[in-house]
Amino acid sequence: MARDKVYQEEDFPTPLMQLWHSFKQPPVVMIGFCCFIFLIVLALLANIITPYSPVENHLEYVLLPPAWSNDGNVSFLLGTDNLGRDMLSRLMQGTSLTFGLSIIVVMASLAIGVIIGSLSALTTGIKSSVLNHFLDVILSIPSLLLAIIIVAILGPGLENTLWAIIMVLIPQFVHITRNAVKEEFAKDYVLASRLDGASSIRILRYSVFPNIIEKLISQATLAQSAAILDIAALGFLGLGAPLPMPEWGAMLANGIDMFYIAPWTVYLPGLAILFSVIATNLVGEGMRHALKARKEN
Amino acid sequence: MAHFTLTPPYYLALLLLVLTGCDSNEALYLSKQSIIYCSEGAPESFNPQTVTSGTTIDATANQLYNRLIEFDPADNSIIPGIAKSWHVTRDRKMVTFYLHKDIQFHQTSYFTPTRLLNADDIVFSFNRMLDESHQYHAVSGAKYPFFQNAQFAELIESIEKINDHTVRFRLSHSDSSFLANMGSNSAVILSKEYADQLVARDAMADIDMLPIGTGPFKFKQYSSGAFIRYEPHTDYWRGKPQLKQLVFDISPRDTSRLIKLLAGECDIIAYPIAHEKIKQHPNLILESVTSFNVGYFGFNTSKPPFNDPLVRKALSYAINKQAILETVYTGQAEIANGLIPNSSWAYDSSITSQEYSIAKAQKLLTEAGYSEGFTMDLWAMPVQRAYNPNAITMAKLIQADLQKVGIKVEIVSDYEWSTFLRKVSEGEHQSVLLGWSADHPDPDNFFSTLLSCGAIATGSNRTFWCNAKFDQLIQSALQTDNINIRKAYYLKALKLINDEVPLIPIAHSKRYQARAKNINGKLLRSIGGIDFNGVTKN
Amino acid sequence: MLIFTLRRLSLFFFTMLLLTILSFSLSFLFPGEQLINLTGQLYASPEYLEALAHEYHQQEGILSQYFSYLTHLFHGDMGYSMTSQLPITSEIFNRLPATIELTCVALLVAMFFGIPVGFVAAIYHRKVPDNFILAIAMIGYSIPVFWLGMLAILVFSIQLGWLPSAGQISLLFEIKHVTGLQLVDILLSDSEYKWQAFQDASRHLILPVIVVALAPATIFMRLARSAMLEVLDTHYIKAAKAKGLTFSQIIYRHGMRNAVIKVIRDVGLQFANLVTIAMVTEVIFSWPGIGRWLIESIYQRDYTAIQGGLIVLSTFIFIVHIIIDFVYAALNPLAREPHHGT
Repeated sequence: MARDKVYQEEDFPTPLMQLWHSFKQPPVVMIGFCCFIFLIVLALLANIITPYSPVENHLEYVLLPPAWSNDGNVSFLLGTDNLGRDMLSRLMQGTSLTFGLSIIVVMASLAIGVIIGSLSALTTGIKSSVLNHFLDVILSIPSLLLAIIIVAILGPGLENTLWAIIMVLIPQFVHITRNAVKEEFAKDYVLASRLDGASSIRILRYSVFPNIIEKLISQATLAQSAAILDIAALGFLGLGAPLPMPEWGAMLANGIDMFYIAPWTVYLPGLAILFSVIATNLVGEGMRHALKARKEN
Repeated sequence: MAHFTLTPPYYLALLLLVLTGCDSNEALYLSKQSIIYCSEGAPESFNPQTVTSGTTIDATANQLYNRLIEFDPADNSIIPGIAKSWHVTRDRKMVTFYLHKDIQFHQTSYFTPTRLLNADDIVFSFNRMLDESHQYHAVSGAKYPFFQNAQFAELIESIEKINDHTVRFRLSHSDSSFLANMGSNSAVILSKEYADQLVARDAMADIDMLPIGTGPFKFKQYSSGAFIRYEPHTDYWRGKPQLKQLVFDISPRDTSRLIKLLAGECDIIAYPIAHEKIKQHPNLILESVTSFNVGYFGFNTSKPPFNDPLVRKALSYAINKQAILETVYTGQAEIANGLIPNSSWAYDSSITSQEYSIAKAQKLLTEAGYSEGFTMDLWAMPVQRAYNPNAITMAKLIQADLQKVGIKVEIVSDYEWSTFLRKVSEGEHQSVLLGWSADHPDPDNFFSTLLSCGAIATGSNRTFWCNAKFDQLIQSALQTDNINIRKAYYLKALKLINDEVPLIPIAHSKRYQARAKNINGKLLRSIGGIDFNGVTKN
Repeated sequence: MLIFTLRRLSLFFFTMLLLTILSFSLSFLFPGEQLINLTGQLYASPEYLEALAHEYHQQEGILSQYFSYLTHLFHGDMGYSMTSQLPITSEIFNRLPATIELTCVALLVAMFFGIPVGFVAAIYHRKVPDNFILAIAMIGYSIPVFWLGMLAILVFSIQLGWLPSAGQISLLFEIKHVTGLQLVDILLSDSEYKWQAFQDASRHLILPVIVVALAPATIFMRLARSAMLEVLDTHYIKAAKAKGLTFSQIIYRHGMRNAVIKVIRDVGLQFANLVTIAMVTEVIFSWPGIGRWLIESIYQRDYTAIQGGLIVLSTFIFIVHIIIDFVYAALNPLAREPHHGT
């Protein structure tokens, strides 16, 4: 008789697998995760799969309501805006702008913030106190005001908006990294490594980072929902992506003038923003929940 | 189970309800006696002498002041104002005005008049603008664009007071638009007594910012950029207005005005959007009037590439005016073939606009040496005007049109309205979307204000186009009273504009207004600013 | 307590120092001439500019320039607005009270609604009310505030007609400007329509406050929930249960006090976020506050105004933060002890 397994092996999942396992337990989180992946795919493929060009004016079909209303037209599924541009295509392209760019922004500020945070965690005494106060000051400036000032310095435009939001998000990561690293440094295993003769950098890389990575990821998801809202807010105020780029916040601002005659131009971009922020938050919630569950075991 | 109640929030909610409960009778009474008008912009000053901007004129001209001559709202004919009659000599070089004897100036917290209006006030109001050595001439920047465009300083030799109620104007030559100019919104009468008091107080700039006039309303309060509060002038010579309060709520965004009208926070709004919805609404009325106006796409002819008439002509073939009419004006306007709207006697149907032809445009561009296209800026107004309800949308359409001939357009629009006007008058633009609403029915108002050489200095000729032949034509047209001869001159002028294309006229549109059903009275006029005298609420 | 106060004061001074350095450097970073960015004198004649340059010590080093800038700040001179040519100080202090009114009322509303609801969620942990509240909370802080404002106006002002859509008070009422806080000014005025004006101003306040308070309220909900959960897990609660106290006694006497203390600490940190939201709300509701003025200044490229607004707004936030720190220290004796290092 051929038998595949003679001995019953105990299958210990890796930490990552454990995380995934507890992550996908609540059904809400899985839904959120699927939506998140859907948005990422949409952001990447938007240029290819939009039915019309997002910036092309169809002047014969100005202000068409969505297809399910009486005056709608099936070829423009979600209606058109005041210049005849297809809402569906613009929303899809907007995914790569508002949502896609938020991911890039978060990754950039995560990287920079972690580096600065861990370096500053190595300092002590007055330098550390000064840095802490400096962070406190930056954190007490409203994030929108800071972003607006940076945009005012650099001038309007898409790259400058991104830089502004990256700079606004960095202090959070610095703060969290600093506290987390300091906490870990007080623990025994770090002491053990030090006694072994490891340098601080080595300790950081091999011992501390793997333990704080969960905190960082959970902060990253929080930061991402903030980034989406900030990019949209700057777009809404007209300080973000230039016209006619279909960023969701800018679309909303464009639609406000017609919100009484064409309310879908306001509802649809707002729903898109809401949807992506909720998806991000659900993923973040699931992550935090899973981390807590793992800690408790 | 848990038995607690969240008492604090309940009490709070109760308190809130009491605080915000129903209006009492007194508040309703106050609201019935007042009208709130949502306007589209803040006034630049409170004296229409110093501006041509329609926003300022709407806010001040007919509310605070009167003029010697006025226009009948029904047919725009000339009727008496402060002057109850006038006499013009045969050579038309002397005009004598006979004034009413019972006109009182406003009494406010900053001025109490001790006498009625008399000829001194007329002499003062005009000499201030015409005489450069007058102590009040340079106050507020020495800019009197309407009169400087009409070249009043050269036209008027002298103004004499014959007696307390008679004033004589001596002209250097006959000018058929003189009387019409005296009826324009900028020809208001100020108080000399007030001016003298201000000199004594060393506060001369107040004459334009804390105004005194003879109109139906007097100035109470101005909160910069937010609102203007007017009170009725109890001794108004035509009868005290019925309102207790008139407030201009300055709301530059179209949507805010619409929301305030729908929510009942404004009784009347300027330049409404969503016309269909307003017409369907049971409590609202949409009114319109055919204005004397033109919306145009103007080029700064002092800067390349628009110093080359070929380039300008090329662009005139590349603009799809019909599409603009349908999208921006939603069909509520006529295509402009020339500068003059067809309700004016100077209109001539032989002037037609360039057809829409990309091929012709490209051919001309290549001829001018720009076969590769170029980059240009297009300044679009940030506010709604009667001649252009949405300059930004129009700019986007033009941007798409010009892209087809290889021209890249950058739209500039992010300024506050008065800043925008100032920068354009200083020539910062390469091209601009603007327009003009006439101050009086005489066609000269279009020609000399928009395209004469003199108008460059006063800032209303935003094309910086100066053509001696054109100036001569419009001057000649003013020398005679014979309408046919004038018409011939104006036809030649229109042809010249069509050839040289300093600007492309786009459309002549109607001016709209929306109000609540319980407001009575005619507010809109086809010429000039809105008039609240006689507007009531039930 | 003394050391606590001293530490807070030193933090305050340090913050002000950093803020002024930041604002001063902005005049170099903004496009355009540095002196004009600092003073806002767009239309000055060359001689006047020279005199100004001398006043601001332009010919000396950076440090001296910075000190002259500080001196001007202490005298209340923040330059002139480039758009309106009025002194920045008067522009700001005309508008600051409106923002104070909006943000402080919103903070109180967020606390009064968010915290108790959070406690309810903690008490019904893992049951239906808890999940329901968490779901609502998630939607609450995911909504973009500008969209929420527009929807609120659409529903409450236009369709239902219950609440006004813009401004602080109906323009029919003439209220003299004393403090700038509308409600206070109305009570101080002697207008015959005092009571109606007060009602009217309150009605104007409701919608913006709700829009501003929603996201912070949901955050407070979560904070209160986790704080209460932590407290309910502690030994002394278990001891109280064992002693035989009823549930409501436990919550009221022990649970709430300790949980509120934990939450108050984070309330201060959230205030900057709340002001951010208030800025956008002010634009939507045409609320005459600093946020709207700052955003308009950005459009107008009014750099002097941006510098002045930054200092004043950040100082305001920081002051509120410190006040809340003091409240926290008053409630929690443990916090008053000095912490060594950070």
